[in-house]
Amino acid sequence: MGENGKEMTRDMFVIRGKNVNKMETMSRPNISFWQDAWRRLKKNKSAFTGLVIVVIYSLLAVFAPMFSRYGFSDMDPNSMNALPSLVHWLGCDSTGRDLWVRIWMGARVSLTIGLSAATINMCIGAVIGGLSGYYGGKLDMVVMRIVDILYGIPSLIVTILVMVVIGRGIATLIIAMCIVGWIGTCRFVRGEVYRLKNQDFVLAAKVLGVKNLSIIIRHIIPNIMGLLVTNLCMAIPGAIFQEAFLSYIGLGITPPNCSWGILAKEGIKMLRVAPHEVLIPAFFICTTMLALNLLGDGLRDALDPRLRGSEG
Amino acid sequence: MLKYVLKRVLAALITLFVLVSVVFFMVRVMPGEPFTSAKLTPAVAANMEKYYGFDKPLPVQYVQYIGKLLQGDFGYSMKYTNRTVNDIIGETFPFSADLGIRALVIAISFGLVLGIISALNRGNKIDFICVIIAIIGTSVPDFIMGAFLQYFFGIKWGLLPIAQYKGFEYTILPSVALAFFTLASVSRIMRSSMLEVVGQDYIKTAKAKGLSDLRIVGRHQIRNAIMPVITMLGPTVAAVLTGTFVIESIYAIPGMGKYYVESVSTNDYSMILGMTVFYGAFLIICNLIVDILYGIVDPRVRIATPVEDS
Amino acid sequence: MKKKLISLLLAGVLAFGLIGCGVYEQDGAAAAAGAADSQSAQAEGGEETAAEETGSTAASEKVFRYSETQAPTSLDPIKANCIEDNEVGHMTQECLVRNTAGNVEPGIAESWETSADGLTYTFHLRDALWSDGEPITANDFVYGLRRLMNPETASPYAFIGEYVKNGAAVEAGEKSVEELGISAPDDKTVVIELENNTPYFLSLIGSSCQFCPQRQDVVEKYGADYAATADKSIYSGPFVMVSSENQQYVFKKNENYWNAKMIKLDGAVLNVIPDQSTALAMYESGELDFVKLPTEQVANYDDVDHEYMNGNEDFIYINEDCDNKILKNKNFRLALNYGIDRNTYITLATNGVYAPCNALVMPLVSGAETTYGEEYKVESFPMDGDNELAKQYLETAMKEEGISDPKDIKVEITTTDVEASKIIAEVVQELWTQSLGITVTVRQVTYADIYGSVFPNGDYEVGYGGWGPDYSDPYTYLELFKSDCAYNYSNYKNDAVDKLLEDSKSETDVKKRMDMLNSAEKMLLDDGALVPLQLRQQHYLLNEKITGMNFFFCSINTDWTYAEYAE
Repeated sequence: MGENGKEMTRDMFVIRGKNVNKMETMSRPNISFWQDAWRRLKKNKSAFTGLVIVVIYSLLAVFAPMFSRYGFSDMDPNSMNALPSLVHWLGCDSTGRDLWVRIWMGARVSLTIGLSAATINMCIGAVIGGLSGYYGGKLDMVVMRIVDILYGIPSLIVTILVMVVIGRGIATLIIAMCIVGWIGTCRFVRGEVYRLKNQDFVLAAKVLGVKNLSIIIRHIIPNIMGLLVTNLCMAIPGAIFQEAFLSYIGLGITPPNCSWGILAKEGIKMLRVAPHEVLIPAFFICTTMLALNLLGDGLRDALDPRLRGSEG
Repeated sequence: MLKYVLKRVLAALITLFVLVSVVFFMVRVMPGEPFTSAKLTPAVAANMEKYYGFDKPLPVQYVQYIGKLLQGDFGYSMKYTNRTVNDIIGETFPFSADLGIRALVIAISFGLVLGIISALNRGNKIDFICVIIAIIGTSVPDFIMGAFLQYFFGIKWGLLPIAQYKGFEYTILPSVALAFFTLASVSRIMRSSMLEVVGQDYIKTAKAKGLSDLRIVGRHQIRNAIMPVITMLGPTVAAVLTGTFVIESIYAIPGMGKYYVESVSTNDYSMILGMTVFYGAFLIICNLIVDILYGIVDPRVRIATPVEDS
Repeated sequence: MKKKLISLLLAGVLAFGLIGCGVYEQDGAAAAAGAADSQSAQAEGGEETAAEETGSTAASEKVFRYSETQAPTSLDPIKANCIEDNEVGHMTQECLVRNTAGNVEPGIAESWETSADGLTYTFHLRDALWSDGEPITANDFVYGLRRLMNPETASPYAFIGEYVKNGAAVEAGEKSVEELGISAPDDKTVVIELENNTPYFLSLIGSSCQFCPQRQDVVEKYGADYAATADKSIYSGPFVMVSSENQQYVFKKNENYWNAKMIKLDGAVLNVIPDQSTALAMYESGELDFVKLPTEQVANYDDVDHEYMNGNEDFIYINEDCDNKILKNKNFRLALNYGIDRNTYITLATNGVYAPCNALVMPLVSGAETTYGEEYKVESFPMDGDNELAKQYLETAMKEEGISDPKDIKVEITTTDVEASKIIAEVVQELWTQSLGITVTVRQVTYADIYGSVFPNGDYEVGYGGWGPDYSDPYTYLELFKSDCAYNYSNYKNDAVDKLLEDSKSETDVKKRMDMLNSAEKMLLDDGALVPLQLRQQHYLLNEKITGMNFFFCSINTDWTYAEYAE
């Protein structure tokens, strides 16, 4: 509106010059979805701390055993149950093996298995649960009964049979964990989808003719991303300890290899003699989980399309 | 609703039947034998196989087993040679269930409170503390948690009994140790779920309507956020009530967990099957209850009515 | 809606409280003393005072409280299948003779004669009663042994009756139970005929509850449920079992026991405590009178602990029938034996608690007159190992097999999922890798798998195993390497060893027989048929007030029959 309510007319404006070259440039740099996410992640202090811890642990897992003067299986009768010192940074276990080296050798196994098994489980569970919940009806009935059956079979039997069929090893372990591991995520995603599928934004998308699959991927999954990430973070320690249990009954990795779960299991026996043997692996498992959770929360915020471009 | 429940019960029976059948044949292909001892001679082994009917063809054994199962008879254990599986379940289940209920009450009540507090204080110190507690709970396994609680409260400070299950004070440590993981999971899921809900339109609407914060949290947020927790609790309830090996063994509680785990590692076929049927039935009931609860807690969801039969 | 939730929660709390009143265990000590007031431990509130009361009754009532990690698998003495079962049987049933720490004492039999060829034993019974007051007759022993060997009973430990004439044939269903070599000429006489000369027969039946008398009427009354619980059985021994519920086995003195005046305890309670550290903590807080120490805890109790040999010897089986050809090479087997520093092994694997071992026969078993260990000094592999010699044997073996690099030799150790077995395999793996430079891997299988299929089917290369003796004689160990023995898991076959062992069965001169057995052991060790590792030396803590405990290394470890509780 112009002054004094007068009508604006064309002659009130003057062309001050036209720069064709400048017209197409953007005032702000063009940032992609991932760049934006990264920018938001960096701003999130706690998430960034989590990321740093994860990176440091991964690097140590790769390099620390290479540069230690002790082999991870070297036993030493003179330093059995040794406390942390300058010689053995994290002390020794009950057979005098250096825990610093064993922790990082164990990290290789535990991080690999924990992350991969949990991620695979989440993906399978999300897809099956998503479809089952979205389409409902008979499909849902059948899928959920299969889930009930899988839940009911003692998982140890499944693992033993998988081992009989394809032999021992880390791959076996991951496969065995995935055969029944996805059902938790599946039930939970299905429940969420049930809750969301009748909500307005889904109905709106349906009315607009969006395809079912794309509704699930673009509208429903992003809405439960936070819960999925939380679930994933909780599934990782579960996988780490399941590995330890399975390795103990000879279904996982073979001695002298170790994992965090195995170290904790061996250490708990020594609780009243040499508590550091259980506290140290427990510390690393906890801090890793803390880091992953912080990172997970940060990632969730960073990837949340609703928060895109905001400073949150 | 009634029709739906009946339909589900029928489906549950079929599911249970399939479960038994699958496990019946699976255990037979597991490596190892049910009769194991360093001193077992072939003649003795043959006699024992005959005693348990393993000399008959597998399909015949299967039909006989199902026949007995329909009469509610799980048969004799192969490790505990003159005890029936029914007898063992009858003796041990009350202990596991008692421990499990205590643990669940602790886990659900504290877990929900922790999760809600955490979500309402998002990003500040209180939230951070709650998150740390939850992470410790999910990443410290039960064998460490159980041993630590026992060591400090039972042995070092002598505040509570070390083990066994002989009175109320005996139940505190094992139920807290058992509750910790579920407590932490409930609080984590509740927190995330609350945060998902907080950005939804109806919360904004409620705010715009001028509802008090307390009412918004109570009537809208919690009610909408609790569903994932209930979903998670279905199988957890079944698992916790039917016994947990580690806690029961640390605290020397005569529950079912030991038999469940032991039966698999000793190939005690009848025990594995008996435990599986018992646990399976429990699990299916829990999941059925969860599905019905969806409808009760969240009125928009009508899983119960088969709307889509496409 | 929130109200509904709250009410749900409340319902839960209510259930919590209600059930909370119902399921607690009884206090075993109080039950053993026959105190009905232990029920009060279940009453609402006041649990603390109830517990205190029962604690005080326990102290004045002389009840021995101990623990095991494993529950007995069967309370039926005929079906006893492990040490735990047999110990319970030993306390609650009385055989013809009673073996207390290796000494054979009269049991139901007052006296007995042995025929010159050592094949016939005639027992004369005393007047003795069952726990319900009925007399114990010779027929009860005949029925008991026949039941043990009857294929329809399917006793897992039936092999122990194969010493009796026709035992193996009856067990296999080839002969009827009436043909078993046991008879009762009258109510007070039992005659047992044996298959072979068995000098350790008395010691065997005195420590194996499978030879106890059985009451036909009671067994038939309960059928398959016989001895399912404490009340479905009948007892002839020093104690009766009054309760077997909830992982707690409660014993009470048997007033009808023939030798009741020698029994000083009023009762006992066996608590099943799966976790050894829990049991130890309970001992320290005064809830148990006796506890076995896990090896890692022994150093903490240096001055107060005691020890006994439990007879278990651990060694590594070498499968002669496996595909790994190098294991058939004697020099390689010797290299494996010399390549282990057994003292270092003991330090690493057992915290220095167990005894290193370089022979097959445990030295404490009976010899011709004293113990085998005193009479025969077995010279074999040095305890500290001998790397030089090991390398020499290895090189010879490599030449013979045409192998140039020791790394190319691969050996897989099979072990079980039992916690201790894993660390043992790891230590052996490390020691062999260091001393011989060969490639050693470890494979773990479940316990059901190792004795169910891996060992019987010979599906392994070298395997960690052990043996607990059934009777105090070198033969129980040596038999493992006799080619026709059912437990010859290493498929070892050596005609000279077989002949010596077979001939020893008919040798009636005790000294000559021992010499034969000793030669067989030497041959096995010279041939490197196995890698002996350790003898289990069990450390334990015992309430200072308790005396009169006995420990034995065959079938029964802890024998509290004659234990006394000082005031």
